[in-house]
Amino acid sequence: MTDFFNTYGNLMVLMVFNAMLGLSLYLPLMAGQLSLASPGFYALGGYIGAVFSTKVFQSSDGAFPVSYVLLEMLVGGLASGVLAIVVGIPALRLRGIYLALATIAFVEILRVLSLNLTITGGAIGIFGIPQPFNRPLKYLYIAGPLLLFSMFFMYRLERIRAGRALTAIREDELAAGAMGINPTYYKVLAFTLGAILAGMVGALSAHFLNTWNARQGTFDASITYLTFALIGGSRTFVGPVVGAMLLTALPELLRFLGGIDQLPQSVRDLFLNGRLIIFGLLIVLGTIFFPQGIITPRLWERRRRTKAVRPAESNL
Amino acid sequence: MSIRISRFMLGVLLLSILAACGGATATTAPGGSGTTGGATTSGEPIPLGIALAQTGNVALLGQEQVIGAKLAETYFNSKGGINGRPIKLIFQDTAGDEAGAINAFQTLINQDKVVGIVGPTLSQQAFSADPIAEQAKVPVLGPSNTAKGIPQIGDYIARVSAPVAVVAPNALQAALEINPNIKKVAVLYAQNDAFSKSETGTFQNTVTQTLKLELATVQEFQTTDTDFTTQATNVINVNPDLVIISGLAADGGNLVKQLRELGYSGLIVGGNGLNTANIFPVCQKFCDGIIIAQAYSFAQENDVNKAFRDAYKAEQKKEPPQFSGQAFAGVQVFVEALIALDSKTKLDTLSLEQIREQLNTQILAGKYNTPLGEISFDPEGEIIQSKYYVAQIKMDETGTNGTFNFIR
Repeated sequence: MTDFFNTYGNLMVLMVFNAMLGLSLYLPLMAGQLSLASPGFYALGGYIGAVFSTKVFQSSDGAFPVSYVLLEMLVGGLASGVLAIVVGIPALRLRGIYLALATIAFVEILRVLSLNLTITGGAIGIFGIPQPFNRPLKYLYIAGPLLLFSMFFMYRLERIRAGRALTAIREDELAAGAMGINPTYYKVLAFTLGAILAGMVGALSAHFLNTWNARQGTFDASITYLTFALIGGSRTFVGPVVGAMLLTALPELLRFLGGIDQLPQSVRDLFLNGRLIIFGLLIVLGTIFFPQGIITPRLWERRRRTKAVRPAESNL
Repeated sequence: MSIRISRFMLGVLLLSILAACGGATATTAPGGSGTTGGATTSGEPIPLGIALAQTGNVALLGQEQVIGAKLAETYFNSKGGINGRPIKLIFQDTAGDEAGAINAFQTLINQDKVVGIVGPTLSQQAFSADPIAEQAKVPVLGPSNTAKGIPQIGDYIARVSAPVAVVAPNALQAALEINPNIKKVAVLYAQNDAFSKSETGTFQNTVTQTLKLELATVQEFQTTDTDFTTQATNVINVNPDLVIISGLAADGGNLVKQLRELGYSGLIVGGNGLNTANIFPVCQKFCDGIIIAQAYSFAQENDVNKAFRDAYKAEQKKEPPQFSGQAFAGVQVFVEALIALDSKTKLDTLSLEQIREQLNTQILAGKYNTPLGEISFDPEGEIIQSKYYVAQIKMDETGTNGTFNFIR
């Protein structure tokens, strides 16, 4: 069992990180806004974490204090939030594919900036980021509660006025406006919340990955996060969380299956070398069989309905 | 109906995940024995981890390394392995990113229980994954990590790839020997590639500080670019006598092609990213004449390199490239250090932790006669290599096949 946690501790942390990044993309999606800006804020948070822990906080030898990590996450989240408001107000005037394009451009601008600034270390990036924990699994002490908190937050958000307003905007922006909802306000709100989450994850991730460079948070990552939401389901917050966890674990699962000696060599080779082919195939199959994503609100609506119907039946 | 189907699918998925987790305890490598080549090996094979980019955007380089490592496995097992016990390479794909490298390292260290690791392919991946090996006290040899600061990551981290600052200037010396009248130099580099960025720094320093030439222009591009008209035009406008390119195979090759097509006829020095036969299909006949400094030469005259070169040629029908040579050397250093360690204290009397720790000390202490020539390590784990080389690409008339001709 210890072996299991040693081998897959990392993967679990990555799954939790990606679940939160999926959520950060899902937030603007709640208001029907296809924004691909999350990796940009993730990268920003990461650079803040990396710069602070290597240049600002001079920790004496030994483990890097956890309180500093939390402080970096706070700064990362705040900086991302402020940037999101500045970028969001003009960008969210765009709709649909134009918004997606503008956010891709935003991610690209941040990437080119980080390649050219000296403080970000150019293409080599920042390395030798100090570790707060002696085992990767312990990152879950921070990442786990953060994920649970953000899921609880999303659970509540979907049920209060702000969340309903976001849904209303998603379904019909004009009608929502006519009902007295300020679409710009709510769209920027969702965008900013997503950015704060991505920024916080970035700051933590910089420690986890030991190094930070411009290869983090690129257009490729935007597409990956979008896949989390699409495969997982984009109608409830559980969707991107499940999607992110499944899609992050899958390549490693196949790597593991390829290591089982009892399987015939040809099957093992397929699992090891054809990992990415199988991965791609499953995504294609997923979109065919689960066009709404794996998790849809219908899953528990049906259960609720059967529960609600049964007592009525017994009265007959 | 559709819901029932999707629930069924979900069930199958969950079951397969459960099955996978349950199987985690049942993986132990069976004892291997075999007769390969001249010598006999028997007993439990010694697992050595290889974490390279077999997929992703650096797979072109990673696959060359894999070939080199596999040849080393066959070669050393046929020579008797570790005093009779065979060595078994365990490959884990790192893909091209940092998280992939971390995952591969963790699997090798904890699940495959390797004595040491050769990898990863990229310096950025090394900055991410090497600290994990350092923490677990597993010796790592970087086969192609050339950025500054790699051996300094920790006591257990060393490399068989000489840093750019040492290798690259040799190509400029060679260019000056071909054309002593070089005055103006144009430099191009891939801005988003860590390796190219540090390499161009070395090139630019050598041009201005050491050789006192005029640095006429510095142009930047991205490894993902395909159109280099702007950069090529800017270069041609300053009318340079020498062009220096630091990039990767695909972009570097395209850049060379477009420079030549736009009429540049002077010398071209390529960085280590262009140091692969994989650029031949990209720039075809225009590849002709590119000068590249080498940490490895297939013409190197020692027995192990001859054996390596013959084996590589028999399998791949071409001369071995530097990346394969370095990967071979990485495995060789592990094998020879293991043999030395086994001769002192029998490996099967030591625990895995002890083997890893003593192996690390042994690696740094030894001297190795590899395909790269004589190599050894300084106390930090930096390679000390006795000789470097310079090659010039020669393409045939059809422009499909080329060779690296060693000129230094």
